[in-house]
Amino acid sequence: MAEIRIEHVTKTFGDNVAIDDINLTIEDREFLVLLGPSGCGKTTLLRAIAGLGMADSGRISIGGQDVTYLPPGQRQISMVFQSYAIFPHMTVHQNIGFGLLMNKVDKAESDRRVRSAAELLHIENLLDRRPSAMSGGQRQRVAVARALAMEAKVLLMDEPLSNLDALLRLEMRAELKRLLADVEATTVYVTHDQIEALSMGDRVAVMLDGKIQQCDAPNTVYESPSNQFVGSFIGNPPMNFMEGTIQRDRDTVTVAVGEHEFSPPEALQPLIRDLSSDRITLGIRAENMETLAAPSSDTVPVTIEVVEPLGAQNLLTARIGGHRLKVSTHPSLDVAAKQQVYIRLPADQIRWIDPATESVLYKR
Amino acid sequence: MSLNTAPDDSAGTGAGAGLPTVLPPLDSPEVEKMHRRMRRRRGRGRLTAYITGAILTLWIAVPIFFVFSMAFTTQETVRSYPKNFLPFIPFSTDTMRFFLESEGVLQSLWNSMIVAGITLFLSTLISIPAGYAIARYLFRGRDLFRLAVLAVRAFPIVVLSIPLAVLYLRIGVFDSLYSLALMHTALALPTSILVVSSVFASVPYELEEAGKVFGASPFQSFRYIVVPLVLPGIAASGLFSFVLSWNEVFAAAILTINNRTLPALVLSSLANSPDAFQFAGGFFLMVPSIVFMFFIRRYLFNMWGQVTK
Amino acid sequence: MTTPDTATSASKARTWRYRVVPYLLIAPAIVYLAMFFAYPMYEGLVLAVYDEDALLPTRDEPNLDGSEVSKIPQGTALAIVDRSSQEVVGDENPDALTDPWYQVTADDPTGSPITGWVSEARIRVRDEDAAGAPVSGTVRPRLAATSDPLTDVYEAPNDRSEVIGKLEQRAPVEITDVALLEVWFQVRPADDPSAAAGWAPSRFLQVFEDGENGRVHRGTDGEFTTAFIRRMIDDRFFGPAVRTTLLLMVLIIPAQLVLAMVMALVIHARTRLSTGFLYAFSLPIGMSDLAAGILFFSIFTGNGLLNSILDALGIIDGPYAFLTADTVRWIIFAIVLAELWRATSIVMVILVAGLQAIPDETLEAAELFGASYFQRVRHIMLPLLRPSIQVALILRTILAFQVFAVVIALGGGDVVTVLANESYRQYFGLRNNNVASAYAVFILLLSMASAFFYLRAVRSEPEARPT
Repeated sequence: MAEIRIEHVTKTFGDNVAIDDINLTIEDREFLVLLGPSGCGKTTLLRAIAGLGMADSGRISIGGQDVTYLPPGQRQISMVFQSYAIFPHMTVHQNIGFGLLMNKVDKAESDRRVRSAAELLHIENLLDRRPSAMSGGQRQRVAVARALAMEAKVLLMDEPLSNLDALLRLEMRAELKRLLADVEATTVYVTHDQIEALSMGDRVAVMLDGKIQQCDAPNTVYESPSNQFVGSFIGNPPMNFMEGTIQRDRDTVTVAVGEHEFSPPEALQPLIRDLSSDRITLGIRAENMETLAAPSSDTVPVTIEVVEPLGAQNLLTARIGGHRLKVSTHPSLDVAAKQQVYIRLPADQIRWIDPATESVLYKR
Repeated sequence: MSLNTAPDDSAGTGAGAGLPTVLPPLDSPEVEKMHRRMRRRRGRGRLTAYITGAILTLWIAVPIFFVFSMAFTTQETVRSYPKNFLPFIPFSTDTMRFFLESEGVLQSLWNSMIVAGITLFLSTLISIPAGYAIARYLFRGRDLFRLAVLAVRAFPIVVLSIPLAVLYLRIGVFDSLYSLALMHTALALPTSILVVSSVFASVPYELEEAGKVFGASPFQSFRYIVVPLVLPGIAASGLFSFVLSWNEVFAAAILTINNRTLPALVLSSLANSPDAFQFAGGFFLMVPSIVFMFFIRRYLFNMWGQVTK
Repeated sequence: MTTPDTATSASKARTWRYRVVPYLLIAPAIVYLAMFFAYPMYEGLVLAVYDEDALLPTRDEPNLDGSEVSKIPQGTALAIVDRSSQEVVGDENPDALTDPWYQVTADDPTGSPITGWVSEARIRVRDEDAAGAPVSGTVRPRLAATSDPLTDVYEAPNDRSEVIGKLEQRAPVEITDVALLEVWFQVRPADDPSAAAGWAPSRFLQVFEDGENGRVHRGTDGEFTTAFIRRMIDDRFFGPAVRTTLLLMVLIIPAQLVLAMVMALVIHARTRLSTGFLYAFSLPIGMSDLAAGILFFSIFTGNGLLNSILDALGIIDGPYAFLTADTVRWIIFAIVLAELWRATSIVMVILVAGLQAIPDETLEAAELFGASYFQRVRHIMLPLLRPSIQVALILRTILAFQVFAVVIALGGGDVVTVLANESYRQYFGLRNNNVASAYAVFILLLSMASAFFYLRAVRSEPEARPT
């Protein structure tokens, strides 16, 4: 059992609160991704788990053992560093076996583990080489092999793919996912790349300003962001947002955006009615809108400003009630700039956001 | 990492559920006690660093302090035994006055200033173009030149002084402050060149090019863009030359007889001068290096840290 | 690049700028370094192994035009066969031991006028012209009564020429000409009577009182010789100087490396005081070994700090004399401390720079994989510091051969001596430039040998093996 439990962990650097009262439980053998823009505190949190940076307060426990202030070497963890941190004066074999040597694993066992880790990463032919003459991808493999050879219960990865070029990154991403599926370790993976996060994690914890904004399965994070930041940070293009005005009738609540009126789903109506102000923000993803050439009962007429053909889809920029929307359409839909089209915004795909808290409203 | 202050709101976090039974509640005193103990244990390395650093600082500072206090006390105290320890050494300008009034001391101080001043001027004058060339041009032989400069930096002064003395005698410039300054310039030059080149290298060439794009002549862009940026570094290298010359003993003792610089005078009178004279002399030898270290802190590694070619 | 036809002149100018300008910029430095490093090094080598006074050529005639008979080494005992005075023409031999003769016109004892040559020793000059040339004088009186009271007048400026008359003492003479004479001796080596005799000017010879024997004082032709090196090795201070220099190296350098590493690790710990520690530890970097010597003299001298502390602690009753001929070990100890105090900073700076070049993540990785602090030092820092340690060792060893003023300050320079001090002694005390240079060259060779040794022994392992 290697469940990682983070309770009320806070860490400040001078006046900057890097992580702010974080609570998070990472299940045994779970693959959790910490995702966020740079400076959000994800690396600080990872380093606190690793023991490379000490938390100011709170508690971190691994498998029921309080490790908050334990030195990293005693935490039974393993890590892949962003810069790989391969020891340049050692051979690949020595690099992979370093942790085993330090932990006094006996020589035969150490050698066996080094070889099997090297085989997993297809670098068994490099074992006697030194890292200086190796490519970035090869070093990366050495770093991962070194981490796996430890056979630790917890595996930490700090943006391990960020130093690779785009093509190699794509390749390594899939390979890492395949590898880690077989490794029975609780994995915490830090990245600022949302595609990595969504494609690899069992759960994704989205961070901003030292806080976890949302921690859910990738699909949930994508489909049902907990707040406006998560919606805007995840997804490419980001979620569209529109300012609306709440119109409270006796029976129903509607929201007006410009001259268009939207009806929130039945379940959310009481929540929206109870908002303290008349303002509300509507969010919808580009691919959740339907573009039609001819008007229909629930469509909104818009004028196209820009058409961006992206191959698999065309991305339209359209204007609605003073807001620019990005709408993705099938490339077969033949449209051009300045042309008028009609888009349908399905009510169940619209996320309703309280502008005061920026939280998305969900029925309880 | 640049970190923003977090907003107060922490709603919407996927917080973990209840605490496991094995661990006591976070706010219990035993957790707090254990955390405090473990933090202290991890702080021990830091504490060791502070203590070791303090001991080593004392090792460096105590001899300096002792000689300085001997340089500013009465001659009687210098002769006395056993001595009281700091801060009970009485302050007096007696020792210093005795030293400065001794024959040849003021002259040698002046001589040292002249030699060190010329060394500063000459080494700066020669090292600026050479340093600029290494930093800015890729020319055939550049690495060889750099390597040669690095190599001669470690060259034994002893080996140079005696043949130079013979040469100086032959051409009649022996026992002259100017010839000594020429020798000191040679000793300072390798380090000067390396420092100046690293200082120029730290100013991106794009800045100079930007100046040229906006219509400055090469000289103007050098004068108005590069010079202000490199001036502190060049001043540091000049100071280095000054201090090197001020402290140089062997060549000064070999190449002068009547026109002694301060170190040469102190050296030649070691055997037959009272302790007070030596301590006051030591004070004058050390003060410029201490002031110098204060001003060149930033360039310490430019001067001595360069390891690879 | 621009097309050739539009940019010919521009690219020509650029080529000129990049081809020529850098060389112009480094030219002064190269000239200067050549003048003050390459030339003295060459000159020092020459002084150490080349004796420019080694051989004295002798000639078949007592003048410089004579052809060479033999070369006699400096110091050879000579038998003198003949002597001759030769007029020195012009100023071709500025350091010749000359003997002026005057051409005089006077009345001889009979009253008839006579013109001939008389040695300067026999004439007292009474009057000189504006340029300082003698115009008139009188004949000196003979002091010894037994000798001939009259002074001989010769036909030519040479005491072998015919005597053409005599002059009375105190007779007034008119001086019309001056000739400078140098005595030449016809000599041959005393131990080889069969050798051909040759002529040599007197200034290169030392003639004994009997006038029949002498020796070669110095020669004019150079010769490569090991004499100076032999003299250096045979010198009674040579052995002690070599031993002490090496002993100091062996004692100082390892201790220095450890101390510098500790200092560097303290600074690398990145505490709040790291910058302050760096400043404190590097304070001695600009100081001379003379200053360090004085500092530790103040501690170890009879009424110094150490005795005062020991006294205060009740360990000793009266001052203990640390720095005397009977306590050579204490002098060595004080020198070691002074050098540790002074020269550790430069090693420290080199090591700190090396440590700073090690990425943080590398050390963190080692820590994470379970390496303790000392394991990190041993397995990560020290191997990665290898190039820095190599440079520090080379620099420090070369500097160790130059230890000088600190030895004089703490030991006076006789009881404990080192190579640089012997070079100084030979030059300054004994005025022997050649032996002093031999010491200098010896130091240079030791420096180069040790640098070579370190480059081989501490060589960084090749970073990559060819595939």
